Amino acid sequence: MPTATVSETSTRTVALIGNPNTGKSSLFNALCGLNARVGNYPGVTVEQKVGRLTGSKLSIDVIDLPGTYSLAARSADEAVAVNVLSGELAHQAAPEIAIVILDASNIERNFYLFSQVYELGLPVIAVLNMWDRVEAEGLTVEAEVIAKRLGVPVVCTSANKRKGIDELRRTIEQTLQSPRTKPASAQLARAQFPEAFHQEAQKLSEWLHSNGRKTSLYKVDRLLIDSDGHFQKSLCQSGLHEINTQIEQARERLRVAGCKVPMFETKARYGWIRQLIDGAVTRKETRSASSSDRIDQWLTHRWVGMLIFALIMFVVFQSIWWVAKWPMDGIQWIQGLASGGIEAFLPPGALRSLLVDGVIAGVGGVVLFVPQIAILFFFIAVLEDCGYMARAAFVMDKLMTSVGLSGKSFLPLMSSFACAVPGIMATRTIESRKDRMVTLLIAPLMSCSARIPVYVLMVSAFVPAIKYAGGWISLQGIVLMGMQSIGAIVAIPVAWLLKRFLFPGEPATFLMELHSYKWPSMVVIYQRVWERVVSFVARAGSLIFCTTILIWAACYFPGDHRLLDESVATLEQLQRTQAIAPVSLEQTQIEENQIREKQIEEKLGEVNRLRSELIETSFLGMAGHRIEPIVRPLGWDWKIGVAVIASFPAREVIIATLGTIYSLGTGEDEKSQSLQDQMQQARRPDGRPVFSLATAMSIMVFFALCAQCSATLMTIRRETNSWRWPIFSFVYMTTLAYIGAWLTYQFFESWS
Amino acid sequence: MITDSVPLPIEFLPCDSQGTIVEMCGRPCQVQRLEELGIRQGCKVRMVCRGEPCLICIEGRRISLRLGDSADIFVVPTVE
Ligand SMILES: Nc1nc2c(ncn2[C@@H]2O[C@H](COP(=O)(O)OP(=O)(O)OP(=O)(O)O)[C@@H](O)[C@H]2O)c(=O)[nH]1
Ligand SMILES: [Mg+2]
Repeated sequence: MPTATVSETSTRTVALIGNPNTGKSSLFNALCGLNARVGNYPGVTVEQKVGRLTGSKLSIDVIDLPGTYSLAARSADEAVAVNVLSGELAHQAAPEIAIVILDASNIERNFYLFSQVYELGLPVIAVLNMWDRVEAEGLTVEAEVIAKRLGVPVVCTSANKRKGIDELRRTIEQTLQSPRTKPASAQLARAQFPEAFHQEAQKLSEWLHSNGRKTSLYKVDRLLIDSDGHFQKSLCQSGLHEINTQIEQARERLRVAGCKVPMFETKARYGWIRQLIDGAVTRKETRSASSSDRIDQWLTHRWVGMLIFALIMFVVFQSIWWVAKWPMDGIQWIQGLASGGIEAFLPPGALRSLLVDGVIAGVGGVVLFVPQIAILFFFIAVLEDCGYMARAAFVMDKLMTSVGLSGKSFLPLMSSFACAVPGIMATRTIESRKDRMVTLLIAPLMSCSARIPVYVLMVSAFVPAIKYAGGWISLQGIVLMGMQSIGAIVAIPVAWLLKRFLFPGEPATFLMELHSYKWPSMVVIYQRVWERVVSFVARAGSLIFCTTILIWAACYFPGDHRLLDESVATLEQLQRTQAIAPVSLEQTQIEENQIREKQIEEKLGEVNRLRSELIETSFLGMAGHRIEPIVRPLGWDWKIGVAVIASFPAREVIIATLGTIYSLGTGEDEKSQSLQDQMQQARRPDGRPVFSLATAMSIMVFFALCAQCSATLMTIRRETNSWRWPIFSFVYMTTLAYIGAWLTYQFFESWS
Repeated sequence: MITDSVPLPIEFLPCDSQGTIVEMCGRPCQVQRLEELGIRQGCKVRMVCRGEPCLICIEGRRISLRLGDSADIFVVPTVE
């Protein structure tokens, strides 16, 4: 038993556990001052998150866990919660306190998990969260009565309003400092299990002990009750294969004795709960439909619901186009100022080129797209926090079953529209392993936020700005929307094929709670948007920055830049004198001016020629010419080819790379233009423009379908525990992308 | 008030009408999961949205269901 002196020096850990969507992460944020993701649908948290309790003299780590309805884990996220709580992980001891978060407006069901956690033998604290709902829904919950009957501390909180947090903090400290007491076994729900079961549990426990596996009673219970359960599998994997026959025999004996496994467990637990809350909880009987019901009438309607979903997606994607224009212009203006400033202070040379062509034109070009990212995440946060996501999953279940998946797969896929990494992580909530694998493999096809910069750049440069419906709908916006949906559309046959040939099986059952609607919380939205913007900028500053430097170096070397730098210096000198020369009517001065103008023109021609020569003979240029035959069928020149290949680690790199290549390679007179203008003016050796509509479309389709994200591939590797699946994803997506881009190019070429 | 009419599978409960669950059968682990979610014998359910999947309301919680062949829930409709 830990003593008080030890406790003051060492770090203690407590864990938050509870049903999905009961506010564990909200409470965790309130306790630790962090911003773990919060959302109004089940399965937001899928891995454990650790934070340090603020405002306490002791050093206490709080662990936020995924939600689960019971300790009989069925999906990977539930297994995380169970493993952490029962100390199954090799490198991590079990927490010292289990804080069970219960939805106070749905006590009965929530105490089911509590009754299981209570049997783990850890000290527990019961937190009745969503206390504000109790008052609003006209329930009465007598927390003191429950506390007295249970003999554990009960705290009432409203996590999203930060109410009751201090009391919970105090209770945690007190519980850590008081001596550990175990509840009397008669107090547990387990005491109400049939006698035959207790005997079998005892037998199995002894058998395990004699095989050198001392196992807690709680685990023995789970072994006997859950068919093909979580612990049975892990014992089997650890080499104890006999456990299977032991359990089978025990279950057979139980059946003969008339004990129905696993039904007796739920019966006993709900019986225990009834005694516990008898008289302490009353619910007003309401027949009238709530406002949630009235909204649901439409949002979950078979056709109307689908239509509304399509409309919402349309508005989200269109607004990326509408709203982001203005802030982007602002950022572009700042970008121009910065490069102008550097050019005024630094003489021509490698450093100036690195700053202007590499950093500002490259990384700055990526940062330009922050407004789009912010708007996308604003919408995602609103949809997640108001409770719509679960409805969308409900509506989409019908479509998903037609390719062999279930509505459960919809949430991870929707999440992948923001970023595939959390999307792939979210597949942990899918119980069926086959469905999970298929979902995980198609998730990278969903159009993530990293593709937006590429689409926006290409669309604004090469799609005609035709407007319809009085300017409300534009062709550019529609093409952008089409690009964002193309991945999802291609995913349909891919999912069907995967499900048919690699992971055959019936569609899994669909069982999901739809939580009441609520007004999205401004804090939650702000945190989500801010977090993503920061991570986008950080990515631009780290991974993309490094790649851009490499690209710049490959573009800059090994050519001899002395001649170019000298010419640029002379040119700038000439331009300066020209600018300050008086506008005069005297014949001599006019002649002088004309001579200077001619000199400037000549120099300019020389500089431009030197620039394009240098870039053609740079390392990148040489490599680019090598790969040109591969990308020519797609309508790309070598510059696009290397830019696309460079963006395999991260999609945004293409913007940075094109920015650097064009900044280094275009003429001096076009330098101050935006990347968009430079691309529009780029010419092939034969004088045709480099980019046509067909080229732009083929680039976009390639990006829509290609697996250009090292982080995604690493996540697939981690989640599937094998290299096979990331390699598989990479190969199938890249092949699809190449074929898709080729078809697109051929189509638009023949059409235009 | 419960009439002594025959129990019917929950899918046949008309929209917006109530019933009481009288029996659940099917794969044991599926039934166990339903019970963990609070869908149990003796519970009053209201059908919010019929179909596949359907949306039911139990004690103020809305749960969507598509069980296929894995389990059956039988209810006796309540008559007002
Ligand atoms: N009314 C009310 N809503 C709350 C309260 N606490 C949290 N919420 C809301 O409940 C929803 C779920 O909150 P989360 O903190 O994400 O829940 P969670 O338990 O971590 O959920 P999972 O990670 O999915 O298991 C969010 O929309 C919160 O804003 C509360 O005390 N009262
Ligand atoms: Mg959470």
